[in-house]
Amino acid sequence: MSTPEIKVPTLSPKELTEEERALKEIGSDYAERFGFRDPENYLYKAPKGLSREVVESISEYKSEPRWMREFRLKALDHFMQRPTPTWGGDLSRIDFDDIHYFVRASERAGRSWDEVPEDIKRTFDRLGIPEAERKFLAGVGAQYESEVVYHQVREDLERQGVIFLDMDSGLREHEDIVRQYWATVIPPNDNKLAALNSAVWSGGSFVYVPAGVKVEMPLQAYFRINTENMGQFERTLIIAEEGADVHYIEGCTAPVYSTDSLHSAVVEIVVKPGARVRYTTVQNWSHNVYNLVTKRAVAYDGATMEWVDCNLGSRLTMKYPSIYLLGPEAHGEILSIAFAGQGQHQDAGGKVIHGAPKTTSSVFSKSISKDGGRASYRGLLEVARGATEARSKVVCDALLLDERSRSDTYPTIRINENDANVGHEASVSKIGEEQLFYLQAHGLDEEEASKMIVNGFIEPITKELPMEYAVEMNRLIELQMEGSIG
Amino acid sequence: MRLVEANGRKIGVFRCAGGDLVAIEDRCSHDDGPLAEGEFDAESCTVECPRHGSLFDLRTGRPKTLPAFQPVDVFEVRVEDGEVKLEV
Repeated sequence: MSTPEIKVPTLSPKELTEEERALKEIGSDYAERFGFRDPENYLYKAPKGLSREVVESISEYKSEPRWMREFRLKALDHFMQRPTPTWGGDLSRIDFDDIHYFVRASERAGRSWDEVPEDIKRTFDRLGIPEAERKFLAGVGAQYESEVVYHQVREDLERQGVIFLDMDSGLREHEDIVRQYWATVIPPNDNKLAALNSAVWSGGSFVYVPAGVKVEMPLQAYFRINTENMGQFERTLIIAEEGADVHYIEGCTAPVYSTDSLHSAVVEIVVKPGARVRYTTVQNWSHNVYNLVTKRAVAYDGATMEWVDCNLGSRLTMKYPSIYLLGPEAHGEILSIAFAGQGQHQDAGGKVIHGAPKTTSSVFSKSISKDGGRASYRGLLEVARGATEARSKVVCDALLLDERSRSDTYPTIRINENDANVGHEASVSKIGEEQLFYLQAHGLDEEEASKMIVNGFIEPITKELPMEYAVEMNRLIELQMEGSIG
Repeated sequence: MRLVEANGRKIGVFRCAGGDLVAIEDRCSHDDGPLAEGEFDAESCTVECPRHGSLFDLRTGRPKTLPAFQPVDVFEVRVEDGEVKLEV
C-alpha cells in the first residue's frame, strides 16, 4: 500500500515499533491505570468547608511565618467578598462548603523512592512514574493530595544552584526569595479562585534557576487527587534569572469518583532578561473535576516564555495562561490543545499583553469536540500604549466530530499603538467525508481513520512535547476517541 | 485618604507613615478601577486596587504587582498656611 504522506501504523503487526504497540494497546488497561482509588490513609484531614479556623489551622500545621498566615487570611476575605464568576463555564454546581481544603498524606517529603510509603508508591507504579523517572526525569516532585511526598533533584542541578522543591519546603528553606516574588504576578485579589488558592494553598513547586544556568532536562512534577470531594490547591512559583533556561512539565490525573472535586491552582512565573521558560501541562483529570487555574508569566527584555497546555480531562476547565511582555523584544508563545468529550466543557485559551516595544507573540490553539462536548477559545491580545512595533499572530482551529458538539471562539483584541502588526485566524472544520473515505480506501476502518485525522490535527502541538508526553497525549486522545464512531 | 476632584479627575490624597502627603489618580492603569479607594498601607506607602489587587507605590505611582504594569499619575502635594494644595 502506498500513502506517501500519511503514516499508517496499524496494518502489519509484525513490523510495529514499541511505541506503536503501546498505542495499539491503548484503552485496554484504562480502569487499572486511571480508574482506581486507594484506601484513604492520612495523617491529617481538615474538616469540610472554609473558615478562618480552617485557614489558620493549615498555616499552623505547616508552621508558617506570620506574613504567610496573614496573607492567607486576607485572601480568604477577598474570596468571601467576591461573587462566583458567571461567565465562562457553569460553576453553580460547586459547593464550596462541601470540600476538604487540606489533606496531609504523609509525614514529610521523601527524598528517595525507597522512602515513599508503600501504598503511595503503588499508586505511582500504576501511573508509570518510576519508569518515567529512570528514563527521562531530571527530578520528580509528585504531589499526592496536598503535599509533595517525593522529590528528588539530580545532583548536577543542585551543583548548578538550581532549586527545585515542593512549595512548602521552598518557603521554609528559601523564605527570602519566595517572599520577594510571592503573589507579585498573581495577587490574591486577582480573581475569586486565585483568592481561594491563596487562602488554602498547599504543595506545588518552587523552581529557582540562577543567572546563566541552562537546565538541560525538563523538571517534572505529577499531581493527582485521591480523596473524594478533595480540593487541590497547589501553588507554583518559577524564577528564571538573567539568561537562564528551564523547561517545567506538570502532569495531572485523578481517579474516578462519583462526586465532584475541585482543582484550583495558581502558577506564577518570572522570566528575567534573556531567560527562557517553557511550562508544559498535560491535564487528564477525571470527568467530575472542576479545573479552575490561574497561570501567569511575566517576561522582561529579550526573554521568552512558552506555555504548552494540553487539556483533556475534567468536567469543566477554565484556564487562560497569560504572558505579560514587559521588556523590549520579549517573546511569548502559547500552544493549546483542548479535547471536550461527552459532558465536558473546555473553556481554554490564552492572553498576551504587549507592554514594551518590539515584543512578539504567537498563540496556536487547537480544539476538538465530540459527543456533545463543548470547547471554547477565550483569548486576549493587548498592545499597550508605548509597545511600539509589536507583532502577534493568533491562530485558533476547531474540529467538530459530530453534529451535537460545540465550539466557540471569544477573541478580544485591544490595540493602542498604530504600528502594531497583529493577525488573527480562526477556523472550524468537521471531519470530512472525503478524508475518511480516502483513508478507508487505504484499508483503515472508520475509527482508525478518525483517530488518524485527529492526531494529524493536533500534531503541530504534540511534536513540541517531550517524547514520552507526546506518546501519552496520543494515548489519551485515542482513549477519548474510542466509541466515537457509529 | 481624602478623595478630591480637579479638572474632572479624581485624586486620592494619603498620609503615609512619617507624615508624608502623597496624591495619586483614582484610576487603576489596569482597567480603570477606583484605585484610591483600595486598601491603604501607611507603613509601606502603598495602595491595593480593590478590583484586581494590583499594589501601587504611592510615591512613584508605579505598580509593584501585576495585573497593572503601567504607572498612574502622581501629584505634588504642598502644605501652605494650613491648607493642602495639589499641583495638577
